[in-house]
Amino acid sequence: MLSLIIKRLGIGLIIVFAVSIIIFFGTKILPGDAAQIRLGQEATEANVAAMRERLGLDKPYYLQYLTWLGDFVRGDMGVSLASDTPITSLIADRYINTVYVAVLTAAIGVPISLTLGILAAMFPGSLYDRILTFVSVSLVAAPEFFTATLLVLLFVFVLGVGNAVVVGSAEGKGLFELIAHFALPIATLSFVIASQLIRMSRAAVLNVMSSPYIEMAILKGTPRRRIILRHALLNAIGPIVNVIALNLAYLVTGVIVVEVYFGYPGLATLIVQAVQTRDFVLIQGLGMIFCLTYVILMLVADIAAFASNPRLRHPK
Amino acid sequence: MSDMKKNDPKFKQLGHADNKQLFEMIHRGASRRDVLKYFMASGATLAASSALFGSATEAIAATPKRGGKLIMAGDQHGPNDTLDPALYTSAVDYFRGRMFYGSLTRLTESLGWEPELAESIEANADATEWTFKIRQGVEFHDGKTLTADDVIYTMNRHLGADSISKAASLVAMVDRWEKVNDYEVKAVLNSPNADLPIALGTFHFKILQDGATDFSTAVGTGPYKVKEFSPGVRAVGERFENFWGEGGYLDELEHYGIGDSTSRLNAFLAGDIDAMVNLPPKAIGQVESADGKEVWSLQAGAYVNITPRLDMEQSANVHLWKAMQHLQDRQRLLKGVLKGQGSLGNDQPINAAYFDHCPDIPQRQLDPDQAKFHWEKSGIGSTPVPVVCAEVSPAAVEQCLFMQREGQKIGANFDVKKVTTDGYWGAVWLKEPICVASWNMRPTANIMMTLAFKGDAAWNETRWKNDKFDQLLVDVRGEVDPDARRQKYCDLQTMIHEENGMSLPVHRNYVDAAASHVKGRTSVPLNNFGGAEAPVTLWRDA
Repeated sequence: MLSLIIKRLGIGLIIVFAVSIIIFFGTKILPGDAAQIRLGQEATEANVAAMRERLGLDKPYYLQYLTWLGDFVRGDMGVSLASDTPITSLIADRYINTVYVAVLTAAIGVPISLTLGILAAMFPGSLYDRILTFVSVSLVAAPEFFTATLLVLLFVFVLGVGNAVVVGSAEGKGLFELIAHFALPIATLSFVIASQLIRMSRAAVLNVMSSPYIEMAILKGTPRRRIILRHALLNAIGPIVNVIALNLAYLVTGVIVVEVYFGYPGLATLIVQAVQTRDFVLIQGLGMIFCLTYVILMLVADIAAFASNPRLRHPK
Repeated sequence: MSDMKKNDPKFKQLGHADNKQLFEMIHRGASRRDVLKYFMASGATLAASSALFGSATEAIAATPKRGGKLIMAGDQHGPNDTLDPALYTSAVDYFRGRMFYGSLTRLTESLGWEPELAESIEANADATEWTFKIRQGVEFHDGKTLTADDVIYTMNRHLGADSISKAASLVAMVDRWEKVNDYEVKAVLNSPNADLPIALGTFHFKILQDGATDFSTAVGTGPYKVKEFSPGVRAVGERFENFWGEGGYLDELEHYGIGDSTSRLNAFLAGDIDAMVNLPPKAIGQVESADGKEVWSLQAGAYVNITPRLDMEQSANVHLWKAMQHLQDRQRLLKGVLKGQGSLGNDQPINAAYFDHCPDIPQRQLDPDQAKFHWEKSGIGSTPVPVVCAEVSPAAVEQCLFMQREGQKIGANFDVKKVTTDGYWGAVWLKEPICVASWNMRPTANIMMTLAFKGDAAWNETRWKNDKFDQLLVDVRGEVDPDARRQKYCDLQTMIHEENGMSLPVHRNYVDAAASHVKGRTSVPLNNFGGAEAPVTLWRDA
C-alpha cells in the first residue's frame, strides 16, 4: 500500500514537472513582450531594454525557467506584470471565494447526488429512475449560464429572494451566512456536478450489480438493500471517488462562467484576466496552482480507490 | 466649493439681474460657450466666467442629504486595478481615483474647468507660464496639510522621458514645475498651452502626498478614504470627516466591476447595486419602463471608426476610402444599433460635445451615387477588400457589416473578417490595411487631434501626414483670440474630414443607469458615471 502511494506520488511529481515546462514555454509562445507590456505603449526602446534586464528576460530561456521553478518551489510566485503586486496576494483575495464555493457545493451537492444515484440503482427501470435519468441528462446538456439565468429569473425576479450577483465580501461570515451569500452560484454548480455524479454513481453500482458474486448473494436471498449497501457499493467506490475528484478540481479551476455571471472574483476569472492583460507571471503561477490541485485531488482519489479495493492493493 | 477666493465672481455675488440671466441661460440648456460670450461681453475674464457657469449649475441641483451607502458598478476590473493615479487605465480606476484623491482643477460639464485644490490659476499673456495658488487648510487623510511640495512631487511624476505616467503626453509641453512659496507653484512651459488647467483636471493628475510610493492604499485629499481596496475585487470608501469642501455625503461608497453586461443589468434591476455603467442598448427600454430606475446618458465625443492605412497598397487608394465614407449608413447605425444613444459622425473626431466643435462642416450622408462614382474611379472592381473588425464597442462590427451591404449594391466586395477582442489592440489595430477602432473622448479637441491625427503621433491610424495640419495644431494652442481660435479649429476639423481617410459614422453617448435615489450625478462627458466626477457630489435620497 505504502509503496503504491509513493509510486503515485512520484508519478504526480513528474506530471507537475512536465506541466511546469509546458506552462513556462507556453507563455513564451504567446505574442507580446512582458517588459513592453509592463511599461505600456509609449515606452522607449531604452526603457524596455532596462526593464527586460530587471525582469531577467535577457537571459536564455532555460535559465529563466530554472530561476522561476526554484522561486516557485520556495513559495515565491513573483510579482504581477500588470499591477506590480505580489502574485500571492492577488491569489489570496480570490482563493477564499473559490474555496468557499467549491467546498460548499461539494458538501451540499455530493451527498445529495450520490444518494439519488444509488437510489436509482436500487430500483432500475422504475418511474423514479426514469424521471431522474431524464432530469439529469437534461441538466448535463444545459450550459451553466442557462441554469444560472433560470435560477436568477425564478428566485430573484419571480420570488424576490436572494441577489442576482454576489454582493459584498465573504469575510467574517458563519456557515449559514456563507451559504446564503453564495446561494445561487452554489445552486448552479450543484446542478452541474449533480447530473454527472448521479449518472456515474448509478452506472457504477449497476455495473457491479451484474457481476457473479452479486448474483450469488441474490440467490442466497440477501435483501436488495443489503446487497447494494454492503456488497456492491464498496466495489463501486473507486470510480465514484474518481468522478468526485474530477468534479472538485473543476470547481476550483473551471467555474469561469459562474464567476463571471455572478460577478464575484475567483481564480478562474483571474487566469482569464491574466491572459487578457498578458500577465505572464500570473498565468504561470495560476497554471501551476491548477495543475497541483488536479494532481493532489487525483492522488487522493487513487488512494481512496486502493483503500477500498484489495485487488488494486495486491495486483497479481 | 465652500471658500472661494473673495473676489471670485461666484453667482451668489452677482447682481440680481445677472444672476437671473445666468440661471435662465443654464436652464434653457446654454453651453459654457454661450455663458462665456455673455459675461465676457460684460468684461469678465475667461477663467471667471468659467467659474460662474460651474457654480450656477451646481446650485440648481437639490440640497444633498448626508448618510447612507451606494454601490456603483463599473464593467471590466481586474488584477491591474491600481491606486497610483499615474498608472490609471480604466474607468474603474478613474472613478476610484475621484473617491480618494483631489486635483488642482475640476472639469465642468461643458469641459471647461474650475479651481479645486488650486484656488486661483493665472497664466501669462502667451500661456507659457501658469501660476497656481494652492488652497490653504486642505488636509490629507492622514492629517497632513497640503502644500506646494505635494503638488510639485505629484507633477514631477508625469515629466521626463522615463516617466511611468500614462498621461505624460498631456503635459509634455511643461518644462518644469517651480515652487514659489509653500502655497504657490508655477509651471514653466516650452510652448504655449491655453488648455493646461483642463489637462490637469483629468484622471491621472490627482494630487499625492510628497514622497508617496506605497499604493496599497491611497492617502489623498478626496471626500472618501480607503476602507478596503483589493485589485479586481472591490474598493470601499468611508467618508473623510475633514474633507475641505462640499461633498462626500455618503457614509460609504463602494465601487467594483461586474464584467458581464447581462449580470450587471440583472444586479441593477434586482436592486443589488445602485448604478451601473454601459447599459446595453437593447436594455434601454427596459430600464426606462422599470420603476425607480433611470438612464444616465451623456452626449459625448467617443466614437467608432474604420481606418484605411494610407501607406499600404490597396487602402491608399483615395477613391476607395472616399467610397467607404459615402457607404456609411449613419442614421441607421445610430437608430438601429445605438438606439438613438449617440450622434451622427462626420468623419472627423470633434463633435458637438467638444468646446471647439466646428458646426460649419456639412454632414456627410449615405450617398450611393457618390460612392459609385468613387468606386468606379478607384478601379478596384470586384477584387475583395479585406476589412478586419472586432466587437471593441457597440456598433464597431455593425459599421462594417452595413458598409458591406451597401457596398454590394454598387458592386464593391468588402471581405469583413470578424476577430476576437482579445489581443486586438496589439495584433490587429494599426497593423492591418483596414480595421476598426473605438475611441474615448478626450478633454479638448487639441489633445484628441494630437493623440491620433498629428503626423508623428504613435496612434495615427491612417498614417495621414499633412504638415500644414501639424503646424496649425501647435499654433492654435497659444491662440487667445476667440474668433481666430474658432477659425483655426474649423480648418483643422475640415482637413481631417476631407483628407484623413477614416470613416467615422457615429459618436457614442456614455449610457449608464442609476436608481432614482442616486442623486448628485455629474455629467462631464469624458467617461462613464458623469466623467468619473460623481464621487464627490453623490448622495442618497432615502
